[in-house]
This record gives sequence, C-alpha cells and structure tokens, in this order.
Amino acid sequence: MPKLKLEMEVNGRKVSRETEPYKRLLDFLRDDLNLTGTKEGCGAGECGTCSVFVDGKLVKSCLMPAAKAAGATVETIEGMAKPGDLTPVQKAFHKTGASQCGYCIPGMVMAATSALRENPGAGIEEIKERLGGNICRCTGYTKIFEAVEIARDVIAGDLPETVLEEDAVQDTYIGANVRRLDAPSKVSGRLKYAADMKMHDMLQMQVLRSPHPHARIVSIDTCAAEAMEGVACVITSDDVPGKDGYGVFVHDQPTMATGKVRYVGEAVAAVAAEDLVTARRALAAIKVEYEELPGLFTPQDALKPGAPVIHDYAQDNLVKHIPVRKGDVAAGFEEADLILEDDFSTQQVEHAYLEPEAGIAYVDPDDVVVVISPSQNITHHRHMLAEIIDKPINKVRFIMSPVGGGFGGKEDMIYQGMLAIGAMKTHRPIQLNFTREESIIASAKRHPSKVHYKMGLTNAGRITAIEFSMLSDGGAYGMSSEGVMRKAAILSCGPYEVHNLKVDTTAVYTNNTPSGAFRTFGGMQAQFATESMMDMAAEALNMDPFEIRRVNMMKIGSRTHTQQELTTASLGRVMDAAQEASRWETGAPNVRGPLRGDLNGPDTRQPCTLGARFQGDGLDGGDKGKKENVA
Amino acid sequence: MLTCETYHMPTSLKEALTLWTAAPDGSRLISGGTDILPWAREGRAGDVHLPELIDVTRIPELSGHQIINARVHLGANTVYQDFLTEGTLRRSLPCMPYCAIWFADDQIREQATLVGNLVNASPVADGTPPVVALNGEIELARLEDGEIVRRVVPVIDFIEGPGKTRIADNEIATKVILDAVNGYGGSFQKVGLRRSLVISVACCAALVKTDRDGRVFENVRVALGGVGPRPIRLAEVEAKLQGARISRKLITQVAELAADTVASRSRQEYRREVVVNFVRAALEEALGNQPDVTISFQDEKVMTDA
Repeated sequence: MPKLKLEMEVNGRKVSRETEPYKRLLDFLRDDLNLTGTKEGCGAGECGTCSVFVDGKLVKSCLMPAAKAAGATVETIEGMAKPGDLTPVQKAFHKTGASQCGYCIPGMVMAATSALRENPGAGIEEIKERLGGNICRCTGYTKIFEAVEIARDVIAGDLPETVLEEDAVQDTYIGANVRRLDAPSKVSGRLKYAADMKMHDMLQMQVLRSPHPHARIVSIDTCAAEAMEGVACVITSDDVPGKDGYGVFVHDQPTMATGKVRYVGEAVAAVAAEDLVTARRALAAIKVEYEELPGLFTPQDALKPGAPVIHDYAQDNLVKHIPVRKGDVAAGFEEADLILEDDFSTQQVEHAYLEPEAGIAYVDPDDVVVVISPSQNITHHRHMLAEIIDKPINKVRFIMSPVGGGFGGKEDMIYQGMLAIGAMKTHRPIQLNFTREESIIASAKRHPSKVHYKMGLTNAGRITAIEFSMLSDGGAYGMSSEGVMRKAAILSCGPYEVHNLKVDTTAVYTNNTPSGAFRTFGGMQAQFATESMMDMAAEALNMDPFEIRRVNMMKIGSRTHTQQELTTASLGRVMDAAQEASRWETGAPNVRGPLRGDLNGPDTRQPCTLGARFQGDGLDGGDKGKKENVA
Repeated sequence: MLTCETYHMPTSLKEALTLWTAAPDGSRLISGGTDILPWAREGRAGDVHLPELIDVTRIPELSGHQIINARVHLGANTVYQDFLTEGTLRRSLPCMPYCAIWFADDQIREQATLVGNLVNASPVADGTPPVVALNGEIELARLEDGEIVRRVVPVIDFIEGPGKTRIADNEIATKVILDAVNGYGGSFQKVGLRRSLVISVACCAALVKTDRDGRVFENVRVALGGVGPRPIRLAEVEAKLQGARISRKLITQVAELAADTVASRSRQEYRREVVVNFVRAALEEALGNQPDVTISFQDEKVMTDA
C-alpha cells in the first residue's frame, strides 16, 4: 500500500510525515506525532474526546481522514498554552474541579475554547449548545459549564484573573473549594492513560470474540493467522500456563473461553501483531467451529427445573442467594392496617466511561510480568494473575494507569490475562486498546433486577413488616454479583427502622452479558423499589412523603436490617435540608398545589430547544461582525 | 476500521471524474467523511478495505454558492455549519438554519455536507425535508468522451428509497439548486433521544410566506422526513392553506392530514401523532419567524413577531 506524504502545521510547528493513506487525523496525531492529549473515546464522532482545530474550525479528528488536513493548520490540546502554562479556559477547568477522570477534558477544553472563539459573549444556553458534541460521564456538566462561564468573563475582562486562582482555605477543608492536584495534567492533555503509553518494539493485540450466547467450541484453527506476516503470536485458552479463572468472588471466568462460550462478546482467542491492521486481519483468519447450545436469557428461566446448565459447578444456575431475617414477618403483617404489594424492575446499564479499556503488558529483565491498566482492583488482579500464569506473586506486578472513568466497570480482569500471556509468549511489550463497541459488548453491566415487594403499615404510616425478594440477572459469569446481592440485601429496606423483615436477593447465571459492579453496587435497584413503595404508601395513607419517611427513619439507637445498633444518624437533618432546598409543598404525593405543577414550575426543566445563538441576532438581521465565508 | 489502498485528493472536477471513472470496483467517493468512518465499524459494516477513496472536498468548482435567477446554487462542498454562519444562506434559505442547528453538533457540521446527506439517502436524513420544501434539485456530473456532462434531478425524485438514489455509477454530485425564498419564515422540527448527535425519529420542514398584513397565507411548503422510504411533500396541506385566512383552527385542521402520509414500518402510531404535531408546530414557528410581518390570527387577537 503506497504511503501518503502529509505536511501540515501542528501547534505552530511544520510537520512532514509519510503515513498510511487511510489514517484518520486522530491516528496521525496520536501515533505519528505522539500528541496523545487528543483521545479516542468512541471512534464514531459521538463523544468529542478527539476534538481539534483544523484551520480554526473545531472538528472531530476521528471522523476526518488525515489527508484532509494536508496543508492545514492544526491545533491540539498540547498547543493551547505554552508548556508549564495554562490558558484561562484550562485554569477555569482547574479552578472549578471540572476535570474528574479527565478523559473527556482535553476535548471539553477544545470545545469550550471554540465556543468562546466563535462567540466571546456566548450565554450559558449557547455554551451548552456549542459543547453539545462532547460527552462527560463524571461531572454532570455543571462544573464544566461553570468553568466556561468564568473563563468567558475573565477573557472579556469582566472578572479579574485572580478568580482563576485557588480559593484560600480557612479552618476547614469541608465546604472549601480545593483544587485537584492532577487537574493541570488533565486540562493540558499531558496525563498518559494506558492507550497513550508507548513502549519500544510494542505489539498490538486484538481479541476474537464469540458471536454466540452459548455454544460448545468444537475447534479453533489458528494456523492461517499464525502464518501471517507481522503476527507475533496467537493465543487461546490452551496457552494459559496455570490454573485459569478469575472473578471478584468466584473465579469462574476463564482468560479466554475454555470448551464453550457463555455470552456474545466473550474472548475466544487473541492475536498480537506488529500493528493494529495486521492484528485485525489475523483475527479474521482464525477459524472457530461452534456447536450452538440452548441459551438462558432471563433469570426466571434460569431457575426453572431442567433449565440448561451454564457452569458445571452450579447445576442450579445460582450465583448467590443472600437472605436477611429479622423479627416476625407474619406477626408484622397481622399488625398492619394496610398491606401494599408490587413489582419493580430495572434494566441493564452500561457504565460508558469515556476511556475504553486499555492496557500494556511486558516481561521485565527479572522475569516479572508487568501489566499496566486502568484496573480498579489491582491487588486482587495481581493475586489472580499469579495463579493463572503460574508465577509466584513476586513475579507479577500490576501498575494502575489513570482510570478514565470506571464507575465499577473496571473491577473485572477481562483482558489483563491475555496481555500477560501474550507478553510471556513473545517477550515483547503488548498493548490492547478496546474499541468502544468492544467495551460495550465485553464489559460488565449493572444488574437487571426484578423486585417483588410487600409492605405492611399502620394508618399512622409506621412500617410493620417488609417482604423483599430480588431476582437479578448475573449474566454469564459471577464477577461482582455476590457482593452486589449482599449490598442489595443490606440496603434493601432503606434507611427505615423495620422490626420485621424477610429479605432475599438472588443472582443467577444466564447467557447475557455478565453483570458486575456499578455505582451503588446493588443499592440503586433496591432503593428504587423501596422509595417507590414509600411514595405509594404515602399516597394510600394520604400522608406527605417526607412525613412518612420521618415516621420510619432510623435514629440513634435504631437497629439496622442486619442488627447493627446505630450510634449516629443524620437522616432527619438530611430530610430537613432537602425539604427546604426543594421548597417542598406539603401534601400527599398526588396533591397538586400551586407549586406542584408538572410543567413550567420553579426548577422544572424547560422544553428541549436549540438555537440560542439566533437570539438577538436573528436570521434576517445583520450578522454583527460574524465572520462570513462566502466563496 | 476503514482502510484503503489509495486516498486521492483531486483538485478539479475533471480530475475527480477521471479518477472515479477509472477507479476499481468497491472504491468510494468521500466528502465530509462523517458517515463513512462510523459505517466501517463493528456492528455495521465491520472492517472495510477499499481500493480507492476519492475525496472531492479540494475541488474549487464544488465550493461556495451563487444566486442565479432566484435560485441558490450550493456547491457540493457546502457544509451544514455554513447555513448557520453565512448571512446570504440564512436569509435565502430560512428553513436551513433551523435544520442545521439540530443536525449532529457544531463540529460535525463543519465537515458534513448537504450533498453527502442527500446522496446517502437515509430516510431520516435531516437535510432532505428542507431541501424538498425548497424545491431542491441535485446536479450530477459524469464524463462522456472526455467531456463533463451534467444533468439535474429534482431531489424528491432523486431519492428512491433507503440508500437508493438515481445517481449513476460514473457520476459525482456537484451541486444542489434551491429556491431563494428571502422573506419567508422557516422552521424545522425534529424528534430524537437528545439534542445533539441524534438521528431523527421523524422531522419536518416548513416555509411560509404571508401577505404584508400577516392575514393570508400566500405560499406554504411543508415536507416530512423519517416517515417513509422517500421524502414527502405535503401538497394537500399546502393547497388548503394557499390563499386562506390564517387561523389556529385551520392550522390544526390541516395538520391532521399529515397522519396518513406515515408509511414507516416501525412505530407507526407514534409517528402518526408526531407528524400532526410537527406540521402544526412548524407552521406556527415559520409564521413567527417571518421577518418584518406581524401575524394576525383570525381566531386570536394579536401575535407579535418574535
């Protein structure tokens, strides 16, 4: 394939390189010029982590063939300020704490810079619109928008530059604005995430994944792939040197599928090659013969007698059942004036951290197998990997690279084993960067759950008994299911003092994508049911929702569902504050008083509109000095 | 991922047509590139290797725009952001800025071309309804005996179905020709899951011209997208409004006619409800956006021009 010669000006310097003709501008910046401040979050123009200026216009470099930038002037995050310095936009991001994981931040800084270049007087609605192509999963955007507004006012001279400096901290750090230590490296794009790291002589790994939810692997033929020029190794479960299996609680997941596949997207084989394109072509040359097996796609089906068995060790398809018992439930329901019963279900949710999974492994001169990855659980990973690769623990090292968002989704060791085995087979550093699609298909999700709820109450709103039964879809592997069920059980009945309760949480195996850790770790699914029940009970008893919660809330001296006696409790104060801040209008949930309109009330979200930049400008009016590009 | 053997950047139409005529099977033309790169990914086309990519964006003849005989001639390299930033286009094509503001995001609009959107012929392309409302035509060029030959096809006929157009294998789309409708009020309605970066479930474009007193519809154009395989112009709605006294009641009545145009295979009931509301909202917004006219609704006291 003939190379393409590209010349352009990047961050004020002329560059000239020969490169592959199909490279995207993003690849050219990251791979050829080592400008890794520009990130790849999705590769499909959806996330904005790759935003750069080309001839002064902000574009998504994952959607631009590099050839299109030939002769152009390109500005990346690295070119925004001189080394050691930050622009007002970057300083404002630092000041407001707009960078958390930081992976979206270079793109956000670029989008904010573009917004203020296009309209230095942009209002908040216009700023939101202009940042519409950039996604952040940590902040909820509030701090980002706040930063852009501060930067706008500083640039315009409406605020002094001193507002960008750190606030003085008085007696306590609580309530004070303390700047993050790592923010300057994030707002300037200097921080290296795993996919940004490069090592000499490094190979690229790609993973062949199962197209079937449940199938026996009849054969895997890697010969053609291994024979390809540029391929360094092809690995399958046969290459695992030690005792295979990982998982947060039960080690039921093999590094690569062994004997059968249990979900669509499960790793079956991996290739390490001189470059990404070769690795991907080699994947296509691996032949796998499958014999499809009947699958399980709902947790209810998994519990039916005679259901297909997914793991030999769990003939009943049960991952974990957590029971909690307290008091006498039958007596509690006897005491009740009102018994409510209902069902609640929640769906699978993807974490969608902006940084797709990525990692590097190598074998160091002392034969220590080193894995660098944004793992949320490196010590446990290290212990598990030592068994899998049959090495003593002192010959396994994990380095945690900056985590570009995890939210629980990076607790599972879904690729580090393959990297380690590849590095051991080749004695070369190997990198694996997931695509966004791969991240979504292969990584754990929030447990979809179904809760059956029965609550007894007195006419005064006092809960007399609760029966809570949750069935969760654990997916193909155990991952964090046991802990998630445990926490769901512990938190099941909410922060309410319940003397009689019967709680059961159960996770089962299915052939769906594995479920794992996700913020709240089972709490959300339980609270959705409990808090909905509380509101429904309030409505049935014609009580104010705050009032019914106050009647039942745990106080000092209360015993939790698992019989811990509380020595502190703050729920009353929290509810007082929430009630005041929300300007709560007293009344049962179904009451519609003057402040309780469903539309257009105070703090209700306005209808979705766009076109803030038309305001005061008009389509027909003068262009007010805006640049005109008529050819 | 998308790979290719050769990436061409011709600098004249003739050079591009020569390359395109000679290109091996499977080669593709590329304009903004914002569709072809996401297409060549897992879950869609997967890894795609093409012999040649021929990029048309460095051809000066395809850049810029001109107004000739009350028609706007838009070069194929016109990107969506131009409809927001260029005064001439904003004034002459008053529904386009409203379409553009809902199209993808500011960054993709800097690359994505209107012509690319039309040639891709997605039933939910945001660009189709406003172009159809503007009586759009597309110009196609090919080589015959070494000479450039051009033909012009109305866009409503050009798009034959999802991904299907009347462009021939040897042709390159070079231009879109639209009515210049200065003084009209324009509108674009779209529903999707979020504001930015969302594909329409359905969309609607409207253009309205009234008499000076804002009492009578002089000219009305309404087009729908996302409700069938081809673009739809609501001729019956337009005819019923033409010359009629403006009233909220009439707008509500004619909007009902839109429901029966829905031919989508999915979410029919939802789309039927949405398009009726869209037509009403689009007509009202277009009336409100008409420059220098205060609309007087027969069944309402006063509505001032926003």
